Amino acid sequence: MSDTPSEAPANSIMPAWIKGPQDFIGGLVLVVVSIFALWACSDLQGMHGFSFGPGTAPRMFATLLMGLGAAVAIVGIVQEGPRLQHYAWRGPLFVMAGIVFFAFAIRPLGLIISGLATFLISALGSDETRWIEAIAVGICLTVGCAFLFPYILGLPMPLLPRFLVQ
Amino acid sequence: MLELFQNLGLGFHVVFQFVNYALPSWMGGFTVPIPMNILFCLIGAMVGTLVGVLPGIGTVATVAMLLPITFGLPPVGALIMLAGIYYGAQYGGSTTSILVNIPGEATSVVTTLDGFQMAKQGRAGPALAIAAIGSFIAGCAATVLIAVLGAPLTKLALAFGPAEYFSLMILGLIFAVVLAKGSVLKAIAMIAFGILLSMVGSDIETGASRMAFNIPELADGLGFATVAMGVFGFAEIIRNLDAGAGMDRDLVQQKITGLMPTKKDMMESLPAIARGTVLGSILGILPGGGAVIASFAAYTFEKKIAKDPSRFGRGAIAGVAAPESANNAAAQTSFIPLLTLGIPPNAVMALMVGAMTIHGIVPGPQVMQKQPDLVWGMIASMWIGNLMLIIINLPMVGIWVRLLRVPYRLMFPSIVVFCAIGIYSINNAPMDVVLAGIFGLVGYWLIKHDFEPAPLLLGMVLGPLMEENLRRALLISRGDWSVFITRPLSAVLIAAATGLLVLAVLPNLRKKRDEVFVESEG
Repeated sequence: MSDTPSEAPANSIMPAWIKGPQDFIGGLVLVVVSIFALWACSDLQGMHGFSFGPGTAPRMFATLLMGLGAAVAIVGIVQEGPRLQHYAWRGPLFVMAGIVFFAFAIRPLGLIISGLATFLISALGSDETRWIEAIAVGICLTVGCAFLFPYILGLPMPLLPRFLVQ
Repeated sequence: MLELFQNLGLGFHVVFQFVNYALPSWMGGFTVPIPMNILFCLIGAMVGTLVGVLPGIGTVATVAMLLPITFGLPPVGALIMLAGIYYGAQYGGSTTSILVNIPGEATSVVTTLDGFQMAKQGRAGPALAIAAIGSFIAGCAATVLIAVLGAPLTKLALAFGPAEYFSLMILGLIFAVVLAKGSVLKAIAMIAFGILLSMVGSDIETGASRMAFNIPELADGLGFATVAMGVFGFAEIIRNLDAGAGMDRDLVQQKITGLMPTKKDMMESLPAIARGTVLGSILGILPGGGAVIASFAAYTFEKKIAKDPSRFGRGAIAGVAAPESANNAAAQTSFIPLLTLGIPPNAVMALMVGAMTIHGIVPGPQVMQKQPDLVWGMIASMWIGNLMLIIINLPMVGIWVRLLRVPYRLMFPSIVVFCAIGIYSINNAPMDVVLAGIFGLVGYWLIKHDFEPAPLLLGMVLGPLMEENLRRALLISRGDWSVFITRPLSAVLIAAATGLLVLAVLPNLRKKRDEVFVESEG
């Protein structure tokens, strides 16, 4: 994306003959993905007669992906292209942590606690978070969702921790 | 012709349907008639605008995020609401383009050029009003076009066999790739990746478990909403955090006064609206980034035929009117391939397919015949939705402006929580939330390597359809692959797809295509 100019300062890992590291690595990873897919469906039956088996189409498209990935990688070698971009760790880490926490907490702890906790955990993902403000907004949002989803939208989910309900 | 009016009549009948709603006994136990579908349409348009206005959330992300709130509704209501969300989000995108110079999504990129300039000159009111009026006029024309083209195209679609369907999908995907921005090769790679992802889970015909690794949560396949929310919702958040939560936004500080455009404004913009509508309606039917290309094309066209092209980029009202009408017309006519052929032409329509499937509706020509109330109700609701947008948006501009000031540091955790609850509510499956998170990371990686996530989603929706039709076509032809070029209709479609692809990779045209995008960005 052109609007994130945060490119890595120097690509010392990349040999000079790779002119577009971004495409090269991108294509390479797609090839790896396709090989993984080919391996994952290697136990499936292929064609029998002229009808497709369950494994035919996945293998077909995995092979297609491999070819396309290789082509992208080759373009990355021969064509001048952007360098690898810088990856931030803080945003992805805490947002993921919040999401995973929610997944494991929603059943035992209920919507109210897990919602608020998820809010606060993912808020750690930015260094600009102001805590008093964040806690206030988090509480409002959680209360709002606690009304919206189970009551207004009729999607059943536990609100309170299991040990309180029992 | 008579049929057309009958159909539209049915549509409006569905939209204006009153449902008797029983009040709880403590309120007296009366039943009150409520126009449910209009209500859904209104709520959809409102919520869509509300979320669309929030900075950093594009149309696809908005629709993906709000998908779960329609699950509890009856199918007709849910689709009407989703359609409302869609054009609400579109309109929200234009509002941010004009007021903060940040296009909500690709379709309103060109609106920033003249819209923001107008806002700086203190004419944000007329700019917003013209965007709404243009969208409304375009919406009216597009609604009629959908109604006119709907029935004949459906008849055509019924003549299609599996081979034709497969070729049509290939053509659709190629269109999507060629009309979109960025590398054609990488977009096709993303489609293949999406198709591959769609094959996780049980095989439709044999029931064999494919690439599921005996994980029970994968046995049913990857949920479409899960992937969409991961790739568009979570990935966007992580990406935006990279840039720093305090994205600098030069919000127009002047108070917005005088909403209504002057007579001179109207005179200048009406022809532009008309031209934009025509361009948009045509380009919207084409699969792919119809709405995006339509707004670019309309702007470029206005600039070309203007007596004084230098005014463009300095606050020319025609530069707002034309692209805004074009993208709205295109947004609406892009329903045509979905409703008649069952093929989603872009990522938002792919989400619509996802929503329909969750309600047990398989989009395609059969729907038009078996559930006419659903299709025509939705078409009629589009017109009503556009009318509502014009009514609710103009007086509410003040509120939208205030929303624009919501800092991202508060917004992103809210989106995380909202999406997490939404994903969980689909199947009550905690694992889905984790999967969406994983796809968020995948999406982040894709963005970092300049891969577009939209074709991936399109591939994922079309994957099962393509596989099914491919299998059937080859079964009928007894394994003969030439069936795709010996059947005339299929041959035409394949030839068109090949021709398009060749044109797209020819250096000459590619330069032209890049120019269109660059010029409008500059």
